[in-house]
Amino acid sequence: MKPTKTFLPTLAVSSTLLLAVTLAFAASTTRYLHVRVTNPTTHELVRVNVPLALAEKIIPAINHGELRDGKIRIGNFSADNVNLRAILDALKTAPEGEFVTVQDTGDDVRVAKEHGQMVVHVIDKNSHENVDVTVPWDVVQALVSDTTENQLNVEAAIKALENVGDTTLVRVSGHDENVRVWVDSRNTDSE
Amino acid sequence: MIFLAKLGIGALGTALVGAAALSSEGFIYVNVLEHQPGGTHINVLVPAALVPATLRFVPNHHLAKASQQLRPYLPAIDAAIPALNDSPDGVLVEVADPGEHVLITKRDGSIVVDVNDAGETVHVSVPLRAAQSAIHQIAEANPAD
Repeated sequence: MKPTKTFLPTLAVSSTLLLAVTLAFAASTTRYLHVRVTNPTTHELVRVNVPLALAEKIIPAINHGELRDGKIRIGNFSADNVNLRAILDALKTAPEGEFVTVQDTGDDVRVAKEHGQMVVHVIDKNSHENVDVTVPWDVVQALVSDTTENQLNVEAAIKALENVGDTTLVRVSGHDENVRVWVDSRNTDSE
Repeated sequence: MIFLAKLGIGALGTALVGAAALSSEGFIYVNVLEHQPGGTHINVLVPAALVPATLRFVPNHHLAKASQQLRPYLPAIDAAIPALNDSPDGVLVEVADPGEHVLITKRDGSIVVDVNDAGETVHVSVPLRAAQSAIHQIAEANPAD
């Protein structure tokens, strides 16, 4: 009987510890999508902090304009001679590090697959604006999953974002405005 | 004497139950302060549970336009409010410029909006559950009734 008596408190303590650790982990894993727009000239600031779980539930419920059933129509991108879906499909099979590079007098555009992420750099030579987009490959695949030619699956992308580490998705730096879009587990937009 | 004591306990109990029911959904708090000399200062604290009850007395034809405008957004609102309620407290949106500061936060089951500009300071706090039931009541208002 003695071994059972010592076993039970140990089991109770370890179960309590396990429960505490699980609860602490669950509480700390709320993921946030942050958007921060600053204008150094006018000292304007806009910051948005959205729990991804919230976005995940709202997006499928919105059926308005180009956003339906969690998917957005991207017909306008094709009309501008940039078929986003085709680029993503091409990148899916491309080896790591292979770039699509477009250089002209107005813009420099580079698209790459690096360290499991899709990386897009745009330099607008006229406005001296830099745009850096870094999207984890799982999110890229989610974006084109279960879609037709001119759709992106926003709902699936948000679900995929829940599982990626802290990362900056978009950074725009210009004379007038700086924009940063990123994902982390903090409920404030402190960097 | 015993009868009076029983009556007192009954009245007190009823008051307590009533107060508990009224405050069960939290309170809507509105505070508006105009910065100019002699400016208006509005300070209103209303039990949120009163809002759906009050809406029942509003003739449906007054709610018809709002109802029509709300209906398409009802699925999104129904998805958003419970999800927002489950979210941790924190700042959702902040807009600041040299003349104005707008802050929308989620705090203790309420959406809190703070606007501070040169002209006035506005603070509005609305419990999410009460907001959802009020929105539903407005959306379901049928002008034919």
